[in-house]
Amino acid sequence: MPTRMLRSFVALPWLAALVLQAILVGVLLAKRMWRKFPLFATYAGLNLALGIGSYVIFRTGSPFAYFVAYWVKEAIGLSLGLAVVYEVFSHLFRPYPGLRKLAALVFQGAVVLLVILGCIVVYAQPLGEHTRIVAAFYIVEEAARILEVGLLLSLFLFASAFGLHWRQYVFGIAVGLGIFVTVELVAVTMRVQFGITANPVFNIVRTISFNSSLIIWISYLLAPELATSPSELPKRAQLEQWNRAVMELIYQ
Amino acid sequence: MTTIIVVIVLALLALALFYVGFRSRRKQAANRPVRPLDLTAFYTLLDRDDEAFLREKLSRRQFFQLKRLRIKVTWKYVRRIADNSATVLRLAALTRLDPDPNVAQAAAEVADLATHIRVQCLVAFAKLAAEFAFPSMQLTPAVLAPKYESLRQNLSRLGSLHPQDVAPLASAI
Repeated sequence: MPTRMLRSFVALPWLAALVLQAILVGVLLAKRMWRKFPLFATYAGLNLALGIGSYVIFRTGSPFAYFVAYWVKEAIGLSLGLAVVYEVFSHLFRPYPGLRKLAALVFQGAVVLLVILGCIVVYAQPLGEHTRIVAAFYIVEEAARILEVGLLLSLFLFASAFGLHWRQYVFGIAVGLGIFVTVELVAVTMRVQFGITANPVFNIVRTISFNSSLIIWISYLLAPELATSPSELPKRAQLEQWNRAVMELIYQ
Repeated sequence: MTTIIVVIVLALLALALFYVGFRSRRKQAANRPVRPLDLTAFYTLLDRDDEAFLREKLSRRQFFQLKRLRIKVTWKYVRRIADNSATVLRLAALTRLDPDPNVAQAAAEVADLATHIRVQCLVAFAKLAAEFAFPSMQLTPAVLAPKYESLRQNLSRLGSLHPQDVAPLASAI
């Protein structure tokens, strides 16, 4: 009975994720977003297809078939996740060609540093996992997630340092992906550290975080994008008014 | 354990930056007005002779107290320069798409200068923080004021080419 309860506890957020992914794909299709964000659209579409496939295999197939499906889905999700980061980068820096060169340099440096950090993590990681191949998969995933989180972090840091304007859709995609991969990184690290005992919590946490990201993506894509306008300028009359007020204060 | 610490620090940093990004978007959406900058006052704040005079006339404690106050005010000026440069950078990015090649060229130059000023502002913040911690240090952000003046001139030039959008900003910063 507890096992059945646990299975349905895991299955519910999973089913919710599939429904949300279907809504996201619907929104992307309805708004013809694949033209503007082809990599994100591919990421969303493939995630839905692989998610349905994994769910069917989980329900009907053998554990080995599910194992294979799970890791294929993870590998594709990770690669496309990195591609989406690149897409966000391209959109963010498109209006600033001068900054783009500097940003590309910073990002190349960040990639080198993050790969080194990933290698250190792989090397220093104590294993809580009994099966060597599973442990290897999780550690590679952890290193790749470090790269993904680190690149998103650099992107936000750079945008904040230069006061760049985040367009609504680009920001929504970046934040949604960011929250998902950050929680995923923590969850994978815990899974690697504590082994299979962490599995139930690991599965629930990552599904909930993925669902939250899906809600973020859907809400940002559904909200109308406001036209960008330069900041409001102080009107000359207003400036004179301020000036007069200050003068009055001084000569009081 | 080290891995967990590294990962948690990375995750917290990432979440904090997502929040900062969210806040800065909201600020931009609120359309905060650009604030004009009194360059003469800024030059006075950066004047090293003035500082040398104060150092000579005041006791060490009084001088440190005064210098920290001065750094706080300078910080606000640098903040304003950084904000205005970001506004100019955004406007230049929009103007760069102008069909007139002269306007596009001038906008690209303004964007480069604004980018350079943002970098200088980051350096200036670091210098001011160090000076605040150790007031006996002299790390004046000397390049910033002339660069900002040059940005104003370039923006005025761009404003003369593209008066409807740029000219009001050129006279406001």
